[in-house]
Amino acid sequence: MSSITLTSSDGIEMSVDRTTAERSVLIKNMLDDLGDSGDAVPLPNVNEAVLKKVIEWCEHHKNDPPSASDDDDNRRKTTDIDEWDQKFMQVDQEMLFEIILAANYLDIKALLDVGCKTVANMIKGKSPEEIRKTFNIQNDFTPEEEDQIRRENEWAEDR
Amino acid sequence: MRLQPFKEQNSLQHRPTTTDPISTPNMPRPREAGRYPSAAPSETSGSTSPERAADDDTDFFMAQTNDSQSSIGVANFRDSHPQDVRSVPLPPIGRLPPEILIAIFSKLASPVDMRNCMLVCRGWASNSVGILWHRPSCNSWNNLGRVTTSLGEPNSLFNYADLIKRLNLSALSTQVNDGTIVPFNQCKRIERLTLTGCKQLTDKGVSDLVEGNRHLQALDVSEIKYLTDHTLATVSRDCPRLQGLNITNCVAITDDALLEVSQKCRQIKRLKLNGVWGVRDQSILSFAENCPSILEIDLHNCNMVTSKSVTALLTTLRHLRELRLAHCTQIDDSAFMSLPPTMTFDSLRILDLTACENVRDESVEKIVQAAPRLRNLVLAKCRFITDRSVMAICRLGKNLHYVHLGHCSNISDAAVIALVKSCNRIRYIDLACCNRLTDHSVQQLATLPKLRRIGLVKCQAITDQSILALARPRAAQHHHSANHSSSSSSLERVHLSYCVQLRMDGIHALLNHCPRLTHLSLTGVQEFLHESLTTFCREAPPEFTQQQRDVFCVFSGEGVTRLREFLNKSKAPYREETEATMYDDDEELDGEGDGDEGRMAGMMNAAVINDDDDEFLDVSTLNT
Repeated sequence: MSSITLTSSDGIEMSVDRTTAERSVLIKNMLDDLGDSGDAVPLPNVNEAVLKKVIEWCEHHKNDPPSASDDDDNRRKTTDIDEWDQKFMQVDQEMLFEIILAANYLDIKALLDVGCKTVANMIKGKSPEEIRKTFNIQNDFTPEEEDQIRRENEWAEDR
Repeated sequence: MRLQPFKEQNSLQHRPTTTDPISTPNMPRPREAGRYPSAAPSETSGSTSPERAADDDTDFFMAQTNDSQSSIGVANFRDSHPQDVRSVPLPPIGRLPPEILIAIFSKLASPVDMRNCMLVCRGWASNSVGILWHRPSCNSWNNLGRVTTSLGEPNSLFNYADLIKRLNLSALSTQVNDGTIVPFNQCKRIERLTLTGCKQLTDKGVSDLVEGNRHLQALDVSEIKYLTDHTLATVSRDCPRLQGLNITNCVAITDDALLEVSQKCRQIKRLKLNGVWGVRDQSILSFAENCPSILEIDLHNCNMVTSKSVTALLTTLRHLRELRLAHCTQIDDSAFMSLPPTMTFDSLRILDLTACENVRDESVEKIVQAAPRLRNLVLAKCRFITDRSVMAICRLGKNLHYVHLGHCSNISDAAVIALVKSCNRIRYIDLACCNRLTDHSVQQLATLPKLRRIGLVKCQAITDQSILALARPRAAQHHHSANHSSSSSSLERVHLSYCVQLRMDGIHALLNHCPRLTHLSLTGVQEFLHESLTTFCREAPPEFTQQQRDVFCVFSGEGVTRLREFLNKSKAPYREETEATMYDDDEELDGEGDGDEGRMAGMMNAAVINDDDDEFLDVSTLNT
C-alpha cells in the first residue's frame, strides 16, 4: 500500500495512505498530474490541525463506496448524520467551519455534506435571535427591514 | 495549477467547475450603494446548485431525480441602503462563502427554518431567500394569496419573481383560474410548472404564464381540457429547453401543434400524450427524428398512432426506457417485425401494450429478443397471445419485475410454472381472467421470494389450496434471506375477486401470514358477503350500480387489519404465535429496481389508469 506526503499550510509534512488521501478529488487529481514523482503535495489552504482532522475522517471513510452518497443524499430528506460522524463533528465552531472550508477546497463531497448537515442541525427550530446567538452574528437589519421580511415571507410560516 | 488559496477560492473566479462540489452561478459583489439587479443565475449557468432538501412535490416530473436540477441563486436586496461597514470582527461562521451557506440552508426542510435564516442578518437573507422562494408552497388558497401579494409588491425587498424555479398549483386545481395566475406572469425563470388538473385554466392564462420563459424545463398541464394549439405554439416558440411535457387529456390539442413542439423543443426527454386523440404518426415520427434524448413516451389511448411510429421510436431513440402504447389498437405485429433483425434496445425497461390485440406471439418473441433488459411488461388484453409468448418472456430471467397478462386467457399452468422458474425476481404479476389456470400455477407463484402484488381476479378454478400456498412461509427463499425472518411474506396486495371457490380458512391463514398486506379484494366471493365481514370493507365507488354494490368486497389499509383481528377473535386456531419481522425494502440488492417502481406508481397516478386495477377489472368482468 503506497503512501504519499502532504504539506500543510504551516509547513508540516504528513505521510498518508494514498487511498485515504484520494477521498479528496483535489489531491487525487494532483497526484494524477504529478505522476509518481514522490514529491510532497502542498496544501497551502489547510493548516496542520485541520488537515489532521480531515485525514482522520478520510481514514474512517476510506472504504465507503465511491460516490454512493450522491444519490442517497438527494433522496434523503432528513439531516441524519451517522453516529461516528456526529462524534467527529463535536468540535468548536472555529474547527467546524475550518473542516467545512477544507472539505470544499479539497473537494471531499461527503465530508462537506456532513459538515453542512451539522450546521443545519444547529439552525433547525431556532428563532432568528437564537440563531444569531448560536453563531455570534450581528443583526444588521433596520426594524423596518425585519418587518418587511416577515410580511413578505409570511407564507413560509404556514405548512 | 489547481491549487488556489482560500481568498481566490472564495471569490470563485477561477474554480474548475467540473470538480466543484458546489457552485454558485453568480456572486453578489461586496455591498455597495445603489440598486442592482438580483443575481439570479444567468442564461448560461450550469444549474448545478444543490437540490433543495425537502422536495415533496409529487407530480409526474418530480419522480425523476437527477436530470434537470434547478438552480438556486444568491439574491440581492432590491434597494440596498448599505449599513456602515463597521469593523466588527467576523464570527467564525462569517468565513463561510455564500455557496457553502446556500448548501447549509438547502439542508433545511422547513420553510419556517429558512424564513428564520432570512431574518438573521442581511448576508443570510441574500443567501437563503433563493432557497425559500425556489418552490413557494401554494398548498392553500391563503398561502397562494400571500405569495402573490409579495410578488405584486412594487417595493419588495427582493425580486421574488425571478427566484421562483418551481411552481405547483395542483393542490388548488379546482380553484385556480386565469385570474389567479396573472401575478406569476412576471416569473420568467420558472423551470418546472405543474398545473395538473387546473381545469378552469384556458390558453390565455397558461400561454401568458409561459410566454417569454426560456428556462422552462417541465410543463404539466394534464387534464386542462380548454387548452388548444395556441398554448403549445407559445411553448414551441419560447421554451427551447423543455424536457418534460405532460398534456394528458388535453383533448383539443392537435397533431400540428405537437409537430411544432417536436421541431423546436429538441431536448425533450419525457412526453405524456395520454388521451390526446389528435395525435397522429406525423408528429410521433418527427419526435423520433428530432428528439434523440427521449427517455419516456406515453401514448395511452392515442389510437390513431400506427405501427410505423412504434418502429421509428424504437429504432431511432437509443435511450428510450419507457414506451407506453396502451389501447393504441392499430398497432400490430408489423411494429416489431419490421425492426432491424440484429438491433437491440438495451435501454428499454418498460413496455405497455395493453389491449393492443393485434400484437401476437411472434411480436412478443421479437420484443424479448430485442429488449433483453425489460423490467415491466404489460400485455393485458392482448388476448390472442398464447403459451408461446410466456415461454419467450421466460428469457427475460431475473430482469423481469412486473408482468401483466390479464385477460390473456390462452395461458396454461405449464407456462406460468415455467415463468416462475425462470423469472424469480417478479414482484408484481397479474393473471386476471386467465381462467385456465389452476392451483398448480398459484402454488408455483407462491414460491416467488419478492412477490408483492398478485392479481388473480376471476381465475375461477383456484381453491383454498392456492391461498394456503400463498400463506405458507417461502421455503424457496433460503439463499439470500438468512437474516430476514423466513416466515415473513412480502405480499402487499392480493386481488382475488370472483375466485368463487375460496373459503374462510384460506383467507384467514393468508391474513395471518402476510403482515404487510394492505389490500385484499374478494368481490363476488360468496363466503365473504356477510354483514359481519363486509363491515370492514371499504365503500364501493360511487358509480357502481346496486347490483355491483351487492357483491363489492374490498379490504384495504385499516380494513385488512380489522378483518384479521375479527377473524382471530372469532376463530382462534389460526392465530400465529410469532410476529413476523418486517424488513426494509430499500435494502434491495439491485438498486435500480425501487426507483423504477416508484416512478411507475407516479405514472399510474398521473394517468387515467386507476390504481385500483382490480375494481376496474371487477366491473368489466361483471358486465361480460
